[in-house]
Amino acid sequence: MFDFDNLKINSIRLLLTLFIIFFTLILFGISPFEVFQSIIYGSLGSESKFIRTLIVWAPISLASLALIYTFSAGMWNIGIEGQIIMGAVGATFIARSFLGDYLISPYIQILFAVLFGGLWGLLSALLKVKGNVHEIFSGLGLDFVASGIVIFLIIGPWKRDGIASTGGTDLFHKASWIPTIGNHNFPLMLIVIILFLYLLSYVVLNFTSLGIRLKSTGINVLATERFYFKSDRYIVFSYLIAGSIAGIAGFSQASGAYHKLVPSISGGFGFLAILIVLISSRNIYFSFILSFLFSILIVGGSQLQIRLGLDNTIIGIIQATFVLSWLVLQRIKVENMILQKISRVFSK
Amino acid sequence: MIFFENTLITVISLSTPLVIAVIGETISEKSGVINLSAEGTIMICALFGFIFGYISDVATLGFLFAMFLGAGIAVFISYCDIKLRMDQIAVGFVLTILLSHLSNYLGQDYVRLNGPMITKIQIPLLSKIPFMGNVLFNHSFITYLSILLIPSAWFFLNKTTIGLSIRSAGENPLAASSRGIDVKKMRFLGTIIGGSLLGLAGATFSLYTKYGWSEGHTTNYGWIILAIAIFGGWNPYRAAVGAYSFGLLQVLAIKAQSVTLALSQILPLLPFPIMIFVLIFIQYINTKDGKYVPRVIVSLIAGNQPKALGEKLPEEIK
Repeated sequence: MFDFDNLKINSIRLLLTLFIIFFTLILFGISPFEVFQSIIYGSLGSESKFIRTLIVWAPISLASLALIYTFSAGMWNIGIEGQIIMGAVGATFIARSFLGDYLISPYIQILFAVLFGGLWGLLSALLKVKGNVHEIFSGLGLDFVASGIVIFLIIGPWKRDGIASTGGTDLFHKASWIPTIGNHNFPLMLIVIILFLYLLSYVVLNFTSLGIRLKSTGINVLATERFYFKSDRYIVFSYLIAGSIAGIAGFSQASGAYHKLVPSISGGFGFLAILIVLISSRNIYFSFILSFLFSILIVGGSQLQIRLGLDNTIIGIIQATFVLSWLVLQRIKVENMILQKISRVFSK
Repeated sequence: MIFFENTLITVISLSTPLVIAVIGETISEKSGVINLSAEGTIMICALFGFIFGYISDVATLGFLFAMFLGAGIAVFISYCDIKLRMDQIAVGFVLTILLSHLSNYLGQDYVRLNGPMITKIQIPLLSKIPFMGNVLFNHSFITYLSILLIPSAWFFLNKTTIGLSIRSAGENPLAASSRGIDVKKMRFLGTIIGGSLLGLAGATFSLYTKYGWSEGHTTNYGWIILAIAIFGGWNPYRAAVGAYSFGLLQVLAIKAQSVTLALSQILPLLPFPIMIFVLIFIQYINTKDGKYVPRVIVSLIAGNQPKALGEKLPEEIK
């Protein structure tokens, strides 16, 4: 059941990519050990830091989960950013309405986030299926349309009292924040939702006909017709599910991280999730772990400025280098060569 | 009239990098490769173009180096695409993220410095024509270059053997290959020409239209260029019209800033919904109902999307 050879190859590849990252950092004149030490200290060093990491992890893990569905169906859902943004808009809509003052608000926020995100995803899907528009272009377009909508809302109807600025809306009422427990505001509700969705997706993708049909749509669209099901329908499904989950990620950003709507509400986490899913190659465990590692990098990276005087764009460089070298190494198949060398040494 | 003239001059010089980049992207897409790294390529070439111009104090060197850098990035994409058979969209996307972060990191020491200026060259006699002379013939050399690029790109794609081969590689690689066209070479060529033009556009931002360097100096321009390339229907002339329209939009946005903040923020995002509508329209014309659309509108809006755009090379082509 467990693919041991694959694990060996992947761990060799991981070592190689880490080597490349270390080399890159040394090239910039930065000590990689110091960087990683302060990243780990900055993200896991105390309870409050750990909880901040969880808050960042929530949208990234949800977005990666969302992308697993669309990538399974063979679709490049680059519109994930827009779906996150629209989810945040849906959540903000409820938080600013009369419901926002009641404790029930976060639960209704989720519903609306799912609705808004799902509809935005559906739009991409319909453009693909009915309009035959390449999903890259429609997704990219809808991302920017969504950010346009957010800017319009922040400057226009939802502007702060008195001043219209791009700084964001008013803070939500406390009741609309994601319910937390403990002194350090542990976001229990969010963690429960994530674990539930991951478990559910594991079952759906591996043990139901929906999962297998999604995958077959991604692998060979022509073959699906031979089995009498419409691949178009499954493309729409995948986008609908992805949009809904991404909507929850947007809810987490609006009500959990910022407690208001800001122009860059998605924080680039949608694009980050694309990177994660690219290397995890639709493996649900990998994207769970990788999204956590990436959020450690992000939260720890914000400390680099204070501790080492480094700009935190170095984190983006580390992440992208990691993904790029992973993808290239995957194709060059250098690991197999190394593995053979190693096994030859041991067999002697 | 003076106001109108000034607006036109601003539009033409503001659109210079857009025109160059859009034509680069168009050539690249004609060969079948969506250069999704446009955002990152433009950003890093803007930085290095500026750095080279700053160090050597010769702007031309900055432009040249940016072109080489853009071509180098395109070579990497081609290598991944043709040799390693990776997903070109994945490579381009990761490169965009890598390069934009990289340029922000490396550019920290070069924020708000003064580098070399490029001067305006008045073309003798022609610039003396009232109105037109000032609008068209009183610019810097890079603007003249961008204007010259439009017909030459059209000529290259439609009238030369290499251009036609590049297009055929983007339409139907298998058929092109069986007619004896080296599809891999053509794809490589298209990507490289496109990449070097994107690089040149980046340097044009930092050395001319958006003079200097700051963090996120050319943010979103790469994505906008992808949108305009589609609006242009993969035709250099229409792509240029798209770029100039976007330049006009930018000028309007700046002017609108004093009236309403919202409009100035949202106007620059207009190309994206337009891109989607154009794409829908292109597909609509290809369906059965499409033949009732008047020819004039078809020729104005519809485009000739390369059939193999964004696809991997067929495995038959070794």
